[in-house]
Amino acid sequence: MFMYSVYRGCNFEKSYYSSHLCRQVVTFSLYVTSTVARDHSVGGSYLGCEPMGLFWGLQPAPGAREGLRLRKKNVETPFVVVMSLLEGHVSPSEGQSTELAAVATERWYMAPGVRRIEIRQNGLVGTLFLPTGPGPFPAMLDLWGMGGGLVEYRSALFASRGYASLSLAYIGHKELPGPQNRLNVDDSYFNSAFHLLQNHDQVCGDRVGIIGLSFGVFLTLRIATQTSLKPSCLICINGPIGSTISPRKTGDTTGLFGSGDKYWTYDDQGHVSFRDMSLPANLSPETKVKLEHLSCPLMYILGEDDLSSSSIETADVIEETLRAAGKSQLLTRLSYPGAGHLIEPPYTPNARASLWTVKPKKQITLWGGHLAPHAAAQEHAWKKILDFMESNLRR
Amino acid sequence: MDRRQYRVKLSVQPSRGLVDEKFIILVQNTPPGFWLTIHALHKCEDGHSWEAFAHYTTNATGTVNVSEDPSLGGTYSGVEQMGLLWSLRPVPGSKPALRLRKVNVLTPMEVTISVYQGHQTKGFMDQVPLASTVVERWYMAPGVRRVPITEGGLTATLFLPSGLGPFPGLLDLWGGGGKLVEYRAALLASHGFASLALDYLTPKITMETGKIVDNDYFETAYRVLEQHPEVLGSRIAMLGLSFGTSMTLKMAAYSKVMKLRCVVCVGGSHVQPIEGSVEQILSFSQKNAGKTRINEENQVIYRNLQLPIPTDPAFKVDVGRLQCPLLLVVGEDDQCWPAYESAMDMKDMMQRAGNDHLLTILLYPKAGHLLEPPYTPHARFTTFRRVDTREKVVALWGGETVAHSHSQEDAWRKTLDFLRENLYGSTNPGAASSCKNN
Repeated sequence: MFMYSVYRGCNFEKSYYSSHLCRQVVTFSLYVTSTVARDHSVGGSYLGCEPMGLFWGLQPAPGAREGLRLRKKNVETPFVVVMSLLEGHVSPSEGQSTELAAVATERWYMAPGVRRIEIRQNGLVGTLFLPTGPGPFPAMLDLWGMGGGLVEYRSALFASRGYASLSLAYIGHKELPGPQNRLNVDDSYFNSAFHLLQNHDQVCGDRVGIIGLSFGVFLTLRIATQTSLKPSCLICINGPIGSTISPRKTGDTTGLFGSGDKYWTYDDQGHVSFRDMSLPANLSPETKVKLEHLSCPLMYILGEDDLSSSSIETADVIEETLRAAGKSQLLTRLSYPGAGHLIEPPYTPNARASLWTVKPKKQITLWGGHLAPHAAAQEHAWKKILDFMESNLRR
Repeated sequence: MDRRQYRVKLSVQPSRGLVDEKFIILVQNTPPGFWLTIHALHKCEDGHSWEAFAHYTTNATGTVNVSEDPSLGGTYSGVEQMGLLWSLRPVPGSKPALRLRKVNVLTPMEVTISVYQGHQTKGFMDQVPLASTVVERWYMAPGVRRVPITEGGLTATLFLPSGLGPFPGLLDLWGGGGKLVEYRAALLASHGFASLALDYLTPKITMETGKIVDNDYFETAYRVLEQHPEVLGSRIAMLGLSFGTSMTLKMAAYSKVMKLRCVVCVGGSHVQPIEGSVEQILSFSQKNAGKTRINEENQVIYRNLQLPIPTDPAFKVDVGRLQCPLLLVVGEDDQCWPAYESAMDMKDMMQRAGNDHLLTILLYPKAGHLLEPPYTPHARFTTFRRVDTREKVVALWGGETVAHSHSQEDAWRKTLDFLRENLYGSTNPGAASSCKNN
């Protein structure tokens, strides 16, 4: 028997993602009794006993465009994944096989009753997700990286787990001022976002945390150590403690993202890695966050195969700085071998590399991470994130 | 505001599921030994509100798991994983004798589950709960397709399972209230059976001409299924509840067109004039109209209209002719049809004919007439309008709520097993060819 899952369509084109596992046939009839959660895959996109392998093992189908990354833009509808059972141990590229049965599954980012509210006030561009129930709720400010735009799915999931969550756009969004390839907002923008959450009548003002991925880490640590704001806890994933650029100060014209490109490296396929930009030694010293001012618990999550950010070196500096300041007890460090830069909510596939820009030329960037260990890291890290939020925001 | 509110964690998993799927309700982060009430609220399509509630005391870890812990009182007691759904009842002040039935199966039933402090019995809407969540209960699984069918003059809806097919088929019949009732067929399709919900008492053709349909209408429905490109024509079953049983047995025993693989009859009887048209069968019981009982609560009891079970073979379907497996689902407290007496007589007939190896009877003491898919509220009596008499009454269906709800769960599981064995199985216990002699 051969189980085969297909997701049709992604955020910018109709590509087919597929994964397959091959399993031993025990009995053959129209009604098969085997359980993916218990039995072992002997080949295909993954090996061994992997209950969720058919989801995280999804890869672009043969013939798909290069550099795809699977991300849900519209969180109000589910991913639909079709699971098929085919005869024999086959690969999609081998052509047709007899399809014995199929079911469709729906994977949702929003639980029933979760409310999605567009935020366009005080100059902010964001989306607030509120859980069902009477409130008020503990809350999270949700920050992504230099890829920009407004990424909602992690916030939608937090709301589905009982936390109000605000996804905030700060670069690369048409409703933000200035050119899209540039950081045009400053500290007051993030302060404003945090205040909006704190003062919201559905939020417990004294239970607001911040989560950041990639450049979002820098922003998270900056808010926590260089403003008067007092988040209850911080979650930082694969990101730097400084920048080659800073949030714009009035009159500063050096805020172009491109100013870091002397640190870009390329592999033999011409794919770019931004990793060295965030090596602590390469950061503009005045941008480095003052970690010694940290006054709340911090969870730092890193993928040891992160090719986009110098996460290991960064974590080392954080650890040393906090130890010197007598604040080691605030830090939890989670390090995942084989995981890459994009440690996201679990059971979606990792992209080891994907399209970064199309103009002036097509450029693919490296994220790192190998499929199986990255999937394991996401599952483990997500649980740790939710437990950390529970301890710090609910108790 | 109680500052502990933000702590209480309420989860219902899965938050989206099929109507016949179990869920686990978990309350966490409350103090140990804390008194709380778990409440369910559903607003149905016709605007009525239904509620259920149960009293719990949290354990030493401050947790309640509804699938493991006992309710100390409320609309159910004891350990009842799905009690919050099957014990739903109209909120105080509602119209009497309501029945909860989903009409639009393309949308889910939404149930709000909430946790309140203390052991409460009323006034839930005037209070703020500690936590609340919404659960969706679906009759259609992802990928199931709904196809209205009008060919051949039928008023029907076909539900096709997700996937490529072809699939075994099923004709799904309800009873004397008429109308096109889709939810059971939708649910059966979610379990892999291409199911045709058939309106045979109030179809368009009857509403326009005034004529009740006859055998050829059912045979047309069978043919539509048989010839459908996504249906396995040699694997078609028929399922009837109440008057639908009368039609099902009639077709299974006497139709030269239908070659049914297996048959399921719920809450019905084999008593009917076997030479009669559908219209004659419908009016047959009216001859005994005097036997209709009305109890002190003004509820109508129809079961005696067919009693005693006749000895004259002209008035009962000759089930000795059947050549395919027959499953009878019987509530012993059925106040509408004499399903128990009929089942016993059918068993007798099949034993004498030598085909009783085809017969399975599921008997449920204290279950009533309306044995439906599980985890929706039981109603011992509801308003009812028969298509033939046009009178609106309150009919007594029977059944004691806890026993009836448990019976529904058991009967549904066994019905699905029976259908799977006979429609998906590779062995063929009865002859797959027509159920008739020679």
